[in-house]
Amino acid sequence: MEKSKIKIAREILRIRLSQMIINEGLKKDDFKIPIHLALGHEAVAVAVDAMIEGEDKLVLSHRNIHYNLARTKMLKPELDEYLLKKDGVAGGQLGSMNLANEERNIVYTSSILGNNLAVAAGIALGEKIKGSNGLVIVVAGDGAIEEGSFYESLVFLKSNGLSSLVLIENNCWSLATRIDERRCSIDVQKIAESLGFRYEKLVGNDTYQYIEKLKAVRQHVLENKTPAVVEVEITTLGGYYLKTEENPEPRFINYHAGPAPEISLREWPLIEESSRDPVFILLEYCRKSVLETASWEILEELKNEIR
Amino acid sequence: MLETENIVLFGQNIAAGSCLSGLTKNLRVRKGLIINTQNSENTLCGIGFGLMISKVSSVFFMKQQDFLLLGVDHLANTYNFIRRKKPSASFTIMPVVIDQGYQGLQSSLNNFGDFCSLARVPGFAITNKVDAEEIINSQLVSPGFRIIGVSQRLSKEELIDVGKIYSNKEGTVFQYAEGKDATVVCFNFSFSYGWELYKKAKEKGIDISLFSVNAPTPTKWGRIIENTKETNKLVLIDDSKSENLSCYSLINDILDECSLENKILIKRDMTGDWLSPNLELLEIDYQNILEKIRH
Repeated sequence: MEKSKIKIAREILRIRLSQMIINEGLKKDDFKIPIHLALGHEAVAVAVDAMIEGEDKLVLSHRNIHYNLARTKMLKPELDEYLLKKDGVAGGQLGSMNLANEERNIVYTSSILGNNLAVAAGIALGEKIKGSNGLVIVVAGDGAIEEGSFYESLVFLKSNGLSSLVLIENNCWSLATRIDERRCSIDVQKIAESLGFRYEKLVGNDTYQYIEKLKAVRQHVLENKTPAVVEVEITTLGGYYLKTEENPEPRFINYHAGPAPEISLREWPLIEESSRDPVFILLEYCRKSVLETASWEILEELKNEIR
Repeated sequence: MLETENIVLFGQNIAAGSCLSGLTKNLRVRKGLIINTQNSENTLCGIGFGLMISKVSSVFFMKQQDFLLLGVDHLANTYNFIRRKKPSASFTIMPVVIDQGYQGLQSSLNNFGDFCSLARVPGFAITNKVDAEEIINSQLVSPGFRIIGVSQRLSKEELIDVGKIYSNKEGTVFQYAEGKDATVVCFNFSFSYGWELYKKAKEKGIDISLFSVNAPTPTKWGRIIENTKETNKLVLIDDSKSENLSCYSLINDILDECSLENKILIKRDMTGDWLSPNLELLEIDYQNILEKIRH
């Protein structure tokens, strides 16, 4: 396996293990702030990180841990931020849901659903006026696309020819309700194409394929000075079934903020033996023993880092 | 704005048709853009803050303040993110406050101060030629964020051109006359009423001090308090429909330091029908006020 591919695999494992360490802290109630884990979201975060170049800007939402870990390349500054320490990546001033890191191209993060789309449109307009060579990537979810600001922002991005990529992480959940429990189906492709956007869909958690596709979209956006929409099918891993007196039928709980109680820190961080888990997909490219060794090394490095 | 690097002037119909009833007529920029935008007030508020993050200044001209309701999330949440650090770029929202009652339901919301109070946003009300020049020159393009409100009712009247004798450096308190008989303080867009009272007082040989508080939320009003200590008579005029009138804060501060001989508060009577189209002018009995001041 070539070195660059191993590097990507190690990144997936590092972000997974970092989140598992944070999850242990969440279970012990170590944090005063709400933290939204993104177990299962690692592939797209690593792919975006690999795609980003010099003047690109990244605009995030409340569930941003995977992008922040991917961009910062370290756990300790994130952990310190969550603990509201001065050594945190934002000096303990932003916590989790608004965590940005300008030095690593994350220029704005919003805790409000759909809020970041409009701000990203403004950033993209500003960059166009300044003659920037980059694009603005804004991350939203299947909940945010229900907000009016999603449509408004797409119209503005296209009307003003702004180099931008709207990345929609579709995990089918908004808080405790699945899409089919709260609304009709939204065909993002039709919406995007009706406004003249290029549309791509990422499915299967293959980070290597994601990187290639995102790089192609980036090139298209910059060459044509036009926005694009990329929809990513994602499963937030670590959910569980709960039976109560009120609801005797076991109900699946997609934890929103807080711990994934059934996930434990372990040297080999696979959660699910299916394509819903980006770690599982790595096995298509690399022997399990190699990944297990890498995972053990990374876990030791992380433990040393935060010691 | 002609001299500002990379400024964006945006809003619906700002360079088309009546140009927001003349408000945005003949806009020009040396470098940057003038954009007639789509009808998306929430997004347009966010865009101004996004431009700030990109270090590009902008002004969002808004036909009616009511539409700002759609952008309230950005006034609070996005602005809070921006102002943690001292921004180098400027963002101003300039709405027309619908205080001309014949607009009906929309006129029920002329509470400029409430928008500013939401997230402690600096605000400035333009009420005459003097404060217009001073506030626009110092605030329209200046690092940071603020809202500058203009009145639809006043746009139909001749702009009052009167010499000032004082304004604070923040552009939030203006004084137009100094007198010993009473202190008259105008809030929101009520300066024209105060000016009328001043002229009628002068005819009767009554000397009043005339102030306008151009900040829609409590500000530094030490000069007004000092003046009231001298006159011991206070007339407050506030044409906002807010439940939280800014003049209440001034009364509170004044009563801490002065024992007033007379206090007259002129505000809206909200017990009647204020939702239907109406003339919406404050009905002021100037002669009665002057009698009270005299005695």
